[in-house]
Amino acid sequence: MSKNQLNIKTAADIAPGELNLSVDAVVVGSGAGGAINAYELAKAGKKVLVLEAGPYVPSDKFTEMLAVAMGTLYADEGGQANTAQDITVLQGRCVGGSTVVNAALCFRTPEHYLKIWREQFGLTELTQERMTGYFEKVERNLNIQPNKGYETSAGAELIKKGLKKLDIPEGNAKRNIRDCVLSGFCFSGCKSDRKQSMLVTYLPWACNHGAEIFADTRVTQVVAKNGQAKGVLAEVVDPKTGQVKTRVNVSAPLVVMAAGPIQTPIILQQSGLANSSGQVGKNFACHPTLSVTAMFDQKVDDFHGATHSLYVDTNILPEEGGWLQLNAVQEPVEASFQAEPGTGKAYVSYMEKYRNSMRLITLIHDKNVGEVKLVDGAKHIEYSVDDEDFENMKKGLKQNARILFAAGASYLYLPTYDRTLIESPEQVDSVIDGLKNGVAKYRYTSFHPQGTCRMGADPKTSVVSPSGETHDVKNLYVADASLLPTSIGYNPSETVYALASFIADKINGRIA
Amino acid sequence: MTDIAINRRRFLQVASAVAAVSSALSAVPSVAGILTADNKMNALEQQVFQKMLDISLPTKGSSLVDPASLPVIPTIEQALLAGMAPHIRQGLRGGIVYFNDGPKAQYGKTFVQLSDAKAAEFVDAWTRSEAVPHRALAVGLKKLTVLAYWAIPNTWAPLGYDGPVTEKMGVKSLGNTPEPRD
Repeated sequence: MSKNQLNIKTAADIAPGELNLSVDAVVVGSGAGGAINAYELAKAGKKVLVLEAGPYVPSDKFTEMLAVAMGTLYADEGGQANTAQDITVLQGRCVGGSTVVNAALCFRTPEHYLKIWREQFGLTELTQERMTGYFEKVERNLNIQPNKGYETSAGAELIKKGLKKLDIPEGNAKRNIRDCVLSGFCFSGCKSDRKQSMLVTYLPWACNHGAEIFADTRVTQVVAKNGQAKGVLAEVVDPKTGQVKTRVNVSAPLVVMAAGPIQTPIILQQSGLANSSGQVGKNFACHPTLSVTAMFDQKVDDFHGATHSLYVDTNILPEEGGWLQLNAVQEPVEASFQAEPGTGKAYVSYMEKYRNSMRLITLIHDKNVGEVKLVDGAKHIEYSVDDEDFENMKKGLKQNARILFAAGASYLYLPTYDRTLIESPEQVDSVIDGLKNGVAKYRYTSFHPQGTCRMGADPKTSVVSPSGETHDVKNLYVADASLLPTSIGYNPSETVYALASFIADKINGRIA
Repeated sequence: MTDIAINRRRFLQVASAVAAVSSALSAVPSVAGILTADNKMNALEQQVFQKMLDISLPTKGSSLVDPASLPVIPTIEQALLAGMAPHIRQGLRGGIVYFNDGPKAQYGKTFVQLSDAKAAEFVDAWTRSEAVPHRALAVGLKKLTVLAYWAIPNTWAPLGYDGPVTEKMGVKSLGNTPEPRD
């Protein structure tokens, strides 16, 4: 095994039958939380095994086609959704997890939320001072830096002009990228390894210290005895047949759950563990987003460039409305369903103007009103956009629409199921005021599921203690976005990187 | 109206699932799942998707590629339906029957029997419907159909979209990042 490479086995490498393994620590999931813990634990001398339910797709196999990427790199082939099935909940499901398919945007957790977490959830150690150390560490390790001037896109440049006209301050995004080539394919995986996903950072680093990764391996149960974690049961699934090929029994005195905020609570529920509070799976939030499509008289060609490069966070805090605007390039597959111009010639005409189109995304800080649970053996994400949150979304959409008109748009499509057009800035308020909350009315996408194994000091109201260990089971830790006690309004990746690093230090005894 | 009995809540889930699953975008043969006999399209489903394709992308007189020259329906079947969970697939069959029967009351014909103009009118009416299953099915089936079309790279040139760039431009991989020293 050459240095700084993945030490990985896939279903093709694993013999059928049963496999018994014994390690010091088993990490469930290879995304942000899992990879960081795998590295930190392996570096501290532990024998670490990482189990990833998704496939291993090396970056040279990335296709730069979203249609293909959804089928190979995303949970449920990109079709994961809430129970009402009107909000698509996107998550990576591959070695490296969502870090492979996110847009690399990074924000430090706002002090506003850290304060709430300290005061209302007893997370007194998550001070700004302590967290700053972790933010600085992951920013260094993942090359998280503000975009350079050239790291932009044609659409972003137009939006900047709009913001200037409206005297709205623009935010220059920070991203975990090295020498971005501006292909615009972040959501399909970075083929040239510019994005600093776990696939090219913490996972090979963990392997440098002896960690081993099993792909195609889904954990079905955490095993515990007398309130102490003992390991996991897992199945290696042949991706060609969908059949279980090998049953794996991993004996480990330390289990770190980092399967993500959907699968972590599902596995705990399957295991019947860590749920004396009844909170496992509850408090789900997802930062619902809606994209407004703007049509210009001239060609914009907003399909290559930095996937995201600017944001507007003038109203990011809940008392300000709780929304965030994000630009994003989009390829034809995405553009084909973001707007409803009408069936037939109207749709053909809309797509013929693809080069004249661009989008601006409104993301809202939402209440933790959802729940992830097992029903008849299948995962259910029970979540609907709260009425109050929807009113905030409308306010955000108004700002979004005004920015797009100021950027020079001729008219806008709102992301409704039926055809909803805004033809002038004067119509913005009246059209958006007419929107009503409801099921199957809007083209929602969520990129940020979170909050299903809430961290807190009180075992009655939280699943995970302030150290990351579950209240109920010793040496069973959670280290993914499940931990977040509240939604945070910004992209949560850097928060997860920092919290995972904090928890790894707790496990390793580096901090009391 | 179909005589297939579908519990309303269950139907809502199944109908809406079409919209969500279609967002999978996995509509190209290279990501085809395992197509079992249970997942294959029946004759009615083929007709419904074909009609939806005809009315959604009437490309004659436009710059777009004629969908008749592309494997759009096989793409829906081999990529999308092949990967669908059995209970969702079963429900979808009922949903498509319900959708096809939808125009009977107003037009006296099923969806596949309507003229293209009337079929498009029907779909647009259902996207505005107060009934959640109507909205979900109309939007979901249309979305699934057009996604299968746009997922085929041959459709991009008329848009001026050049597709993947890394190999074409000879961009080199930076490989794995060196481990930090601290």
